[in-house]
Amino acid sequence: MDQNIKSTDAPVQGQEQNKIEKKSNPLEITIILPTQAYFLSGIRDFTLKLIKNMTDFSEQWAYRFQSIVDELCNNAIEHGSREGETIKIHFQNKPHDYIQIVIEDSGTGAHPLKAGEIEKLVQDRKSQSVLNGLLRGRGLPKIVAEWSDELEFSDIQEGGIRVRVRKYLNDPKLKAQLPTGLENPAHIVLN
Amino acid sequence: MTDVNIIIEDLAVSGGDKVAKQVTFKGQLDETNVDEKSKIIYALIEQNPKNLNLLLDFEGLEYMNSKSIGYLTDWFSKISEGGGKIVIAKARPNIMDILEVVGLTQLINTFPTLDEAKLALLS
Repeated sequence: MDQNIKSTDAPVQGQEQNKIEKKSNPLEITIILPTQAYFLSGIRDFTLKLIKNMTDFSEQWAYRFQSIVDELCNNAIEHGSREGETIKIHFQNKPHDYIQIVIEDSGTGAHPLKAGEIEKLVQDRKSQSVLNGLLRGRGLPKIVAEWSDELEFSDIQEGGIRVRVRKYLNDPKLKAQLPTGLENPAHIVLN
Repeated sequence: MTDVNIIIEDLAVSGGDKVAKQVTFKGQLDETNVDEKSKIIYALIEQNPKNLNLLLDFEGLEYMNSKSIGYLTDWFSKISEGGGKIVIAKARPNIMDILEVVGLTQLINTFPTLDEAKLALLS
């Protein structure tokens, strides 16, 4: 699993290696993951800690993003990238503004879909009853769509799908749930 | 495979042909284990096609994905068809949140304690 953590701020002198100072500029992290569900529990742990420690979102939203990332990765593994290929996960946190997650597959999976087809599936299933007789199909319309402000599917020119979700912090529903003491934390730790 | 343990225990019922079981989940239900682990519940339903009453103790359940919610709705349908009941106890806030967002709490009653869940299941 390759990780690339990029902050647009200059490194702070004397900063410990496993700590990243929270800045006002966006923090971006990209993870390249082999197409295997085995790795997803690690991605879930990473997402939970990332949101809890590095953003202004509450613990409730950390768990929600954990589900969003898991569902999107599952879809990418199931439909988008065949075994031996990779999926790419890109996190972007813009402090005091939003968190954005982009997931890309290679389009080499057994049942690849075009962006328009996925969008239609999501729209069709949004209004379906929970008792629809299907084991699958709740992840995107009932979880990812419900818990994001923007959900966008696009076709990648070289093949594959790019899914972008964004959640804004200035949602009035979120303000009531903001954790205390996270307004300006000195450090975050990822472990 | 992600770790999840499922323990099944009998619950005492007074008379009739009612069967009641407490199913305790510990760990995470995800893509790597849910197909395999759900067979345990399907076997239980197959052994008790009528009047099966299940108390799902979710206190130790840390995570469930949308596919495990799909299985849960299928268990609910099959058990309801057989005249039985299914309730959930002690789900963590993140589990309650996901059950609510998919609309499952409109179908399956959830309780903060085992005692309340048992009372509802066996009454």
